[in-house]
Amino acid sequence: MNLNLDGTKPIYLQISEWLEREILNGNFESDQKIYSQYQLAEIFNINPATAAKGLNILADENILYKKRGLGMFVTSAAKEMILTKRKNETLKKLVQEIVLEAERLSVSKGELIEMIKAADLGGEEK
Amino acid sequence: MSVITCNGLTKKYGRNKALNNLSFSIEENKITGLIGRNGSGKTTLLKIIAGHLKETSGEIKVFSEKPYNNLMVSANIIFIHDQMNLPAALNLKEILVVAANFYENWNSELANRLFDYFSFNPSHYYQDLSKGMKSTFNSILGLSARCPLTLFDEPTTGMDAGVRHDFYRAMLKDYISYPRSIIISSHHLNEVEDLLEDILLIKEGKEHLHLPSEDFKEWSIGMQGKTAIINEWTVDKEIIHTRSIGLDQSYVVVRNQFSEQEVQRARIAGIELSPVSASDLCVYLTSKTEGGIDDVFNHG
Repeated sequence: MNLNLDGTKPIYLQISEWLEREILNGNFESDQKIYSQYQLAEIFNINPATAAKGLNILADENILYKKRGLGMFVTSAAKEMILTKRKNETLKKLVQEIVLEAERLSVSKGELIEMIKAADLGGEEK
Repeated sequence: MSVITCNGLTKKYGRNKALNNLSFSIEENKITGLIGRNGSGKTTLLKIIAGHLKETSGEIKVFSEKPYNNLMVSANIIFIHDQMNLPAALNLKEILVVAANFYENWNSELANRLFDYFSFNPSHYYQDLSKGMKSTFNSILGLSARCPLTLFDEPTTGMDAGVRHDFYRAMLKDYISYPRSIIISSHHLNEVEDLLEDILLIKEGKEHLHLPSEDFKEWSIGMQGKTAIINEWTVDKEIIHTRSIGLDQSYVVVRNQFSEQEVQRARIAGIELSPVSASDLCVYLTSKTEGGIDDVFNHG
């Protein structure tokens, strides 16, 4: 992944989101050691303190846990917590944006719901 | 622990104050960006830290000692700038050999690898190098010396984009394997900001802002929308930059003191909110007027 460096999103948030994706993808299982701040700094060419901030966010949310002197590890509930978090925060925000844009364009709620359904039909489920 | 503390630091050249009552402190083992416009006092400050210049008044301590004419301080500092005085009688390779005697932590392997990577010719002389090659050679000295305090004053002057990129990465990698205090002044903040832990912004010889680089991005917020609505929202805010767009739209940068709910309400009111990059913010903050260059043309 390349970081979006135009300043639209803090780097440490991009780091924590990238780590979340790595966990969701199954690249890191529970109780597996995750990248250190120095590895992340090298991968993304950023200051190690910024990388540490990204790791600490996930530790505060109990997605990672610290082992003194050994580094950060993935908790057993990590995957589930990331999914719930994304549903409650990321998805909610996106929906708000959509509703706002629909209002600007005077698209009714009913029409919008139809559009969402139509978009869903293109997916792989049905 | 702080490597540098200064209190009320002032430096006068004749009547002109290059540094005016400057106070700040820099923590150990951080990469700090020293940012400011031309003539804001960056180089003067670095020269005082390195002990090349004496302050007019105020206090400065580097490794808890006064830096001017101080052997302990100069043994632990390397100051890289574009007027390095390197021996004209020695060729490039010989300079590297001699430099090893001056710096306790000198890493010859790193120096030689960088020397080869940037395709220097060992038998060439420093004074015959191009501007960009001089800068590149200087930065090899700066990195390989591994001094507890490394000062880079505009290290990338004249370097092409590729070399600048390589230099930044080399600095980061060597910093990771050998943490030390680094101060780098640069006009290319957008290129270095991700490598910095802190940013020290000076304006007209005074400290203007000293923050973790990540906090810079959240320190202000850009608002764009109908001028009337924008004015309503920014009436009691600290305005940093303002620009009109089209017939009735404005872009205004203000201190970001909005709550989550306010941001939401602003969005609904039709204001587009966007983060302001650290380099843009520094330009706005160090500009003498809110409108910047546009004010020159908007007269009458």
